Amino acid sequence: MTGYAIVLASGELERLQAVANIASVAAVSDVPVDVFATMDGLEAFDVETVENKSFEGGAIAKAMLESTDVEIPLFTESFGRAKEMGPFAVYACELSMDLLGKSVDDYVDLFDGVLGVSGFLTKAADKQVIFV
Amino acid sequence: MSETQIPPDVTVDSRGAGCPGPLMDLIGKIRSAEPGTVFELLTTDSSSKHDVPEWVEKSNHEVLDVVERDGYWSIFVEKH
Repeated sequence: MTGYAIVLASGELERLQAVANIASVAAVSDVPVDVFATMDGLEAFDVETVENKSFEGGAIAKAMLESTDVEIPLFTESFGRAKEMGPFAVYACELSMDLLGKSVDDYVDLFDGVLGVSGFLTKAADKQVIFV
Repeated sequence: MSETQIPPDVTVDSRGAGCPGPLMDLIGKIRSAEPGTVFELLTTDSSSKHDVPEWVEKSNHEVLDVVERDGYWSIFVEKH
């Protein structure tokens, strides 16, 4: 096993933040991480969604967005930082984009490429897969 | 070892940042430092006093001390 392949299929902010935190620390510790954003997990990266912070979520998500005492970077910022510091890549699901008639340009500028299932499985072949 | 015996070469002030911000800040600094460099990480995040030493030990660096101060912690780390 040489790292983690994370399938990010949820648009809930709590899950997005948890993935960002764990994946970031792994990547900056030189543990390779590939994130495959699919379904609602990809839509959370939509430019307007991120700008308006209009994420799904419950009490923890609300607390994170409203927190003034504790500085909590949004998952997109954590992903960006991890990409600068370690072996961390983010891929967008082609099917999800096709369903909504979108291109990768409709999402924040974090993605290293667009993958289908076969492409993701190739990336994941030597990694532990985590489904979120 | 008391805090006065550990003069840091680099102070990383992450007070106010939530987990894993302080750890990420430390990693960002420690990676480009010379071996032997001593860091003082300042953090108000209580989980950092466990989480940072865990990472430090796993990464073959050394935790010199964890000092509780008034509302925050100082974690002294030497890069190996």
